[in-house]
Amino acid sequence: MAQISNAKRGPAFYFLAAFFTLFVIFLYGPMLVIFLLSFQGSTGGLTFPMRGISTHWFNDLWTSSRYGDLGGAFRRSLVLGCLSMLITAIVCLFAGLAFRRRFWGSGPIFYLAIGSLVVPGILLGLGISQFFQLLGFKLNWWLSGLGAHLSWTMPFGLLIMFAVLNRFDASWEEAARDAGARSWQVLAYVTVPILFPGLIAVALFGFTLSYDEMPRSLLTVGGKNTLPIEISNMTTNVTTPALYAIGTLTSVVSFVVIALAFLAIAVIQKRRARARSGS
Amino acid sequence: MTEQSRIDIQNVTKLYGKVPAVNNVSLTIDGGAYCCMIGPSGCGKTTLLRMIAGHESPTSGKIQIGNEDVTDKRTGSRGTALMFQNYALFPHLSLTDNVAFSLKVKGETAQARREKARTMLDRVQLLHLADRMPSELSGGQQQRVALARALITNPKVLLLDEPLSALDEFLRLRMRVELKRLQSELGITFVHVTHTQPEAIALADQVVVMDHGVVEQAAGPREIYSKPYSPYVARFMGGQNVLSGLVDGTGAGGTTVRTPDGMLHDLQVVPDAKVGAPVNFSVRRDHIRLVDEAGQRNGTRGKVVNVEYQGTYVKVALDTGSRDEFIVYLDEDDFYSATRAVGDMINAAWEPRFNHLLVGTNNSTGNPHEE
Amino acid sequence: MSDRSSAPGRLLTPYLQVAPLAFLMITMVGIPLLTVVLLSFWEFDGIAVYPAFTFDNYAEVLQSPVTLKLFLATLKYALITLVATVIIGFTCSYFLVFYVRDLRIQIALFLLCTIPFWTSNVIRMVSWIPFLGREGLFNSALIELGIIDHPLDILLYSDFAVVLTYIHLFTLFMIVPIFNSMAKINPNLIEAARDAGASPFQILRDIIIPLSKTGIALGSIFVVTLVMGDFFVVRVMSGGQSASVVSAMKNNIDQLYYPVASAMAVLLVIVVLLMVTAILRVVDIRSELAR
Repeated sequence: MAQISNAKRGPAFYFLAAFFTLFVIFLYGPMLVIFLLSFQGSTGGLTFPMRGISTHWFNDLWTSSRYGDLGGAFRRSLVLGCLSMLITAIVCLFAGLAFRRRFWGSGPIFYLAIGSLVVPGILLGLGISQFFQLLGFKLNWWLSGLGAHLSWTMPFGLLIMFAVLNRFDASWEEAARDAGARSWQVLAYVTVPILFPGLIAVALFGFTLSYDEMPRSLLTVGGKNTLPIEISNMTTNVTTPALYAIGTLTSVVSFVVIALAFLAIAVIQKRRARARSGS
Repeated sequence: MTEQSRIDIQNVTKLYGKVPAVNNVSLTIDGGAYCCMIGPSGCGKTTLLRMIAGHESPTSGKIQIGNEDVTDKRTGSRGTALMFQNYALFPHLSLTDNVAFSLKVKGETAQARREKARTMLDRVQLLHLADRMPSELSGGQQQRVALARALITNPKVLLLDEPLSALDEFLRLRMRVELKRLQSELGITFVHVTHTQPEAIALADQVVVMDHGVVEQAAGPREIYSKPYSPYVARFMGGQNVLSGLVDGTGAGGTTVRTPDGMLHDLQVVPDAKVGAPVNFSVRRDHIRLVDEAGQRNGTRGKVVNVEYQGTYVKVALDTGSRDEFIVYLDEDDFYSATRAVGDMINAAWEPRFNHLLVGTNNSTGNPHEE
Repeated sequence: MSDRSSAPGRLLTPYLQVAPLAFLMITMVGIPLLTVVLLSFWEFDGIAVYPAFTFDNYAEVLQSPVTLKLFLATLKYALITLVATVIIGFTCSYFLVFYVRDLRIQIALFLLCTIPFWTSNVIRMVSWIPFLGREGLFNSALIELGIIDHPLDILLYSDFAVVLTYIHLFTLFMIVPIFNSMAKINPNLIEAARDAGASPFQILRDIIIPLSKTGIALGSIFVVTLVMGDFFVVRVMSGGQSASVVSAMKNNIDQLYYPVASAMAVLLVIVVLLMVTAILRVVDIRSELAR
């Protein structure tokens, strides 16, 4: 990377570093605060001071009936997340491979994908729910809901595949074919293994974007809510730290998934690079 | 084995849109021969190579290897193996698994194919790195792995796409020797694409010179070098001065050609030569002497514009007034025996038997940027 | 020239490969969008929605004075957020690309910025409440430091809170494309400029900013469309006092006024498309997006 000046770290560096640090605190600070507050004592309120430390509010989520079907919502969000992850990864892998060359219809499909990102989620939710109902289908979290989630995750997956395939040398596939490999063997032994870190990234986006998705889900899940919908309902009618407790819990799930993805990618990169000093 | 690895290219054309990258080429490459295809960028040599390999299919025409028509056979089932210019080693596999790949594809068990791969790596002196990854290797080492990967399939024909371009000068010369040795050891056909003339004439049994999708000349290196077919081949292969003039007189003994500077040159008999017809001919640069007295035949006169010392010879460039630079390769002692400096007017002369008629009409310079 | 491979039988492949994506995009994006456009011409008689072809919905939306107010309010949010995110995003990217020496640390810090993106936006929004409320952290700290006597009410449930949340959520969308653009700048350009005696400020002004235009444009498109399309943050963080176009739309949807909501949606999309086109006029990023 180009450095602006070769001199020792000057005032510009310290100013920028401070700015950046402030930004990171700005990003993470609030989340850390509500993690703390989710352990608020049983008599405590939504803000400081902490009146003791307890897991009272976590318990409250379980035991109280005030919060809707959190357990079911959590389960549904997990299932949707996994389904979105798998479907997005597989579909975007092949779509990305297709987009390496111009083909009839590539423009419109690409613009539809970008359009899905640009249009307000709730608008698309309205469209999907009305479209389903006009056709006479019932709205279900695992059908119309899943479709709505996929409309959100696919464009991201596609863009990531574009970035990953930019650095993919087609001569690897040619060399495999030259060695006698048939198309499925090229895919299984060369293309997918080499692209695997990128696929993990797509899977990460596929899961987290679906797991946290709310606007599109609102109108398309039918009778049973997903966790983000339950949480957004809670923001308006819950005035206890139970809100923070569920926030902490769902964030923990997200962080575990993120950590797993990063770990997987790091392990693969490490195995492939080995001694960086030689090259 | 030699019959099996013979390549017959019959009227092969490759069109990209309207542009013929390869234009009705017919060529025979003998089994067990080392064939070098040479030409500037865009001449079609790489496209032709890839069609032999099966990575491109001809728009029309037929390709046979051995006596088998492979035109429509998919790559990997023709008995050919391609060594890629950038080696294309699989970055996610160790050297052993890279080399064993073609065996894995055929269904061999892990143990058996790894064993064979290691043997192959040993042959290219890389066994000690068998478990490394390609990113840890130097360019020369990667090339040897690519070679091992290609040869493990026991191909009838090995195709090499500019194999030495990415190597530094020293390594290039060493690998050249390796390739020649390998080819004669294996006895299979090698088709080697290059744009470096000394490399082609050093390695090949058959040199194929291409330009704009057409084969200009296909012959042994000595013939290509001493008896180029057209002005283009003469210029591209180097080592020749191309001269042109008009027929001055014809006779049983030979044809006389007058160049624009008034000099007469004695050529062999030019068939159907009419007085006044244009003729191209060439003279090898190392067959020319510098003389004090201007002659009247088989010579030229010009101003020295550049002198380059090349160790075994000195390269003297003269401006004789024609479009091409006139270059003389002089023996070191010859050159330094008299003081000749840039700016001096000097005379050059040669024996008439060194005038070589250029039959072909392709008069381009061989440098794509000058067209 | 390996990408010119035209070996036989491979012409069908891209169509088979893209078919699942095409199917999903058409059924889950294309057709729903068309459905909304269609709905905008239908009638609602208080009970149900009837197929029709009427411009009544558009008339209702366009003639209502509230509509203009809503659009202006939303635009206001969008522009303030845009300016703030450009400044913050650019500065952070600039720091990461040109002032962090080790590439690994650069990537680690970049990832640090992106991790919150993979958590719930709702939770991230909610996490500002303990900061901004009357008894929140900011007010407590400011009072303790003696800067103010009474807690500031404007911190929470106000436009300030809304914009702050937008910045918190969406700066990342500015950082990623700008970081990408900056990383692509050939280091030799910077070196050549340094050799020619340019100061860091001149390098920034004459080389880095022009070459980051694509990233800034891309980021701007993201931020603008996200803010224009939001209904949730504006409602919660303003305490119900403010509204945006989409939150008004949602109100209509909640009351089953689908045709009117659809008409508003179509108008919003047109406005957003105009804004995007304006951004694209300034910078041609089609090549960047379309590979």
